[in-house]
Amino acid sequence: MSAVAAQTLPAPLRGAPAEAPARRLRLVPDAVRRRKPRIAYAIIALGAIILVAAAQLVISVAMTQGAYELDSLRVQQTKLERDRQIVAEELDALQSPQNLARNAEELGMVPNTTPVYLRLSDGAVLGQPQAAGSDAADSGPLVPNSLITDVPLVNQPATSENATGGTGAGAPAGNDTQLVPPGALPTPDTH
Amino acid sequence: MKQTSRYPMRRVIVAGALLIAFVAVFVVKLVEIQVVRADEYNAEAEQVRSDSRTVYGARGDIVDRNGTVLADSVMRYDITLSPKQAKAREAEDPGQLAKNAADLGAALGIPAAQITAVVEQSLAEDADSDFAYLAKQVDVAAYDRVSALKVPWVYSQEHPGRTYPNGAVAGNLLGWVNDDGEPAGGLEAAQDQCLAGVDGTVTSLHSLKDWVDIPGTERTVKEAQPGGTVQLTIDADLQWEVQRILAARVAEVGAEWGMVTVMNAKTGELLAVADVPTVDPNDPGATDAEDRGSRSFSAPFEPGSTFKALTAASVIDAGQADPTSGVVAPYRITPGNADINDSDYHDDERLTLTGVLIDSSNTGMSQFGERVSDEQRYQDMLDFGLGTESEVGFPAEASGDLNGGPDYWATDDQTKYATMFGQGLTTTAIQVASSYQALANHGVRMPVQLVQGCADADGTVTGKPDQTPREVVSAKAADETTAMLERVYLEGWLADQWNIPGYRVAAKTGTAQVADGQGGYRSEYLVSVSGYAPADDPQYVVSVSIFDAVKMNSSAASAPVFRDVMSQVLKKYRTVPSGAPAPELPASW
Repeated sequence: MSAVAAQTLPAPLRGAPAEAPARRLRLVPDAVRRRKPRIAYAIIALGAIILVAAAQLVISVAMTQGAYELDSLRVQQTKLERDRQIVAEELDALQSPQNLARNAEELGMVPNTTPVYLRLSDGAVLGQPQAAGSDAADSGPLVPNSLITDVPLVNQPATSENATGGTGAGAPAGNDTQLVPPGALPTPDTH
Repeated sequence: MKQTSRYPMRRVIVAGALLIAFVAVFVVKLVEIQVVRADEYNAEAEQVRSDSRTVYGARGDIVDRNGTVLADSVMRYDITLSPKQAKAREAEDPGQLAKNAADLGAALGIPAAQITAVVEQSLAEDADSDFAYLAKQVDVAAYDRVSALKVPWVYSQEHPGRTYPNGAVAGNLLGWVNDDGEPAGGLEAAQDQCLAGVDGTVTSLHSLKDWVDIPGTERTVKEAQPGGTVQLTIDADLQWEVQRILAARVAEVGAEWGMVTVMNAKTGELLAVADVPTVDPNDPGATDAEDRGSRSFSAPFEPGSTFKALTAASVIDAGQADPTSGVVAPYRITPGNADINDSDYHDDERLTLTGVLIDSSNTGMSQFGERVSDEQRYQDMLDFGLGTESEVGFPAEASGDLNGGPDYWATDDQTKYATMFGQGLTTTAIQVASSYQALANHGVRMPVQLVQGCADADGTVTGKPDQTPREVVSAKAADETTAMLERVYLEGWLADQWNIPGYRVAAKTGTAQVADGQGGYRSEYLVSVSGYAPADDPQYVVSVSIFDAVKMNSSAASAPVFRDVMSQVLKKYRTVPSGAPAPELPASW
């Protein structure tokens, strides 16, 4: 009994709107309108998913590509840093006082222990001028620097330069001209 | 109909409960994995997939006062090999070991036999040996040459190293860093707290196929921090020239060792501290272990007659004499139990305090020195910076020994009088220079400075030295002592050997014995000259000491060094030559 009542009871409820008066028809245009956007939304949602998937694919490909590019740039950076270190070490050795003094002595320069000054305001000579001693002591072994043992002197071309100069075409006088670097004063024969 | 519809709720509940229980099992497991043991699993996963590498925090540079780099950090490489693989390859391809060894030997500059020996020796010790060092700390060029060979059983690893671009310039001060990266002596050790960098770690995931890092997976586990830069008061160019001059003279007179200190008279900054024999920190093994440090700081000696200038200043400061006060100086005197004599026999001489300094008379100096109480003299010595380590705090720095002070001197007349002319007490070369700095700076001593400070990566400078002046003697006492030392420079027996034309110089010689460390004296002498210039406005102090000059055992050995160093200093810093001549002072009465 109760079961019958339970089954039959909802029927009038469902049927109720169908039996409703005609004024409910006003809602129909709404229902029609509602259905149309649903398709649009579906298209938008689907489109978005496809778009996202595509974008992810593109970005992923780009990142993978970037990873290799990054890796090769890192390798290049490491190599350049090594090159920089090689050159910096070479430069440091070249500008050490030992190297400068060695070259100055090789060019026939001697230190003068008696300084004399010319005062520009009145042309006065301050101090007592004295000629420097002519003995140019070899300062090389006095203050050693193991970094410059392989560094060639300024008027002795490096052996590698000699080798390239020798194999280079049409440079018969190359060795003579290389003794004096361009722009430098020639080494005096007597001093 | 009735059957199926009778217990719908119970079925729903049972099904629901089962579902909930089922889901609960997953949730529990999920929480366990994602929350409870997340760290553990993450770490495990990282370990499997990620690659961790060390980012080196470079050791800081040591630079001179002008920024010239004296100690620099560079990347070096250890070349290693796998003896096991070398053997396996040899079995496949006989002859490759000898060929590769020859190539590697050429690339590294070592004999090929040494390389095959490394392989064979490692295999003899352990047939499965997979690791042996081939060469340590090779430079980039050698590393590139080895890499280019592409020998399959040779590997390399980065190993931060140290290089000293100026070689032996200031080598005795710098110390060096050994192959394990540990500082060994000198400033490298003293300033290690500033210089040492902190290595960091970075992990990242990489592709298994070609080891390319996966973008966005790089993670810094520990930040690397570079070390700070230590700036010295030393001038590298001057230091080189001073070392050159000293080394030439030490060789010429056949001396065992020599020291030169150049100090700014106004600030107490050390501009050059030369020790010969010198050490090239690039190759410390080439120098004997005892010559690798700085004797200027660590080897105290009896200063001898250079000390008389300090006693004279004390006497004038106490108001007990002036440069023209006179005494009669015999060859020998015997006050109390003491027995004092001069170096050469002479008749009684009527000397002023100036004359005592010019003749360097021990008997004369004793008669002036006894006018001041032992307590006062001792206090002046302490104020001059003697008897304690200098403010520099150099490794193994010696304090010098004032031989007990006034309490002991009162019981031993010989010591009491000997300390007036620089014997029976010891000082370091730095202390001698520092006490002359006080005389040059009108009686005001400045703390000795070697390090200007430690600049960290963002430029903040810490560890600036103390610059508190200390008046030792009055300006009048110091200036009168300077005037007397000028007469010494002009009239002393070395006058023609240390003459620097155009400049007024104040200087004093000394010849002293060196303690042998067992209560006696070594038979060799330490000859020295200390002084400053220009005397009319002292700017620079130069102190020279040479030990055991076998070919010339007198101050004449050190006088030319003083002249050359001082004139180089005056030239380098463009010091204007003196105008008026030195004031006259009578040497006798």
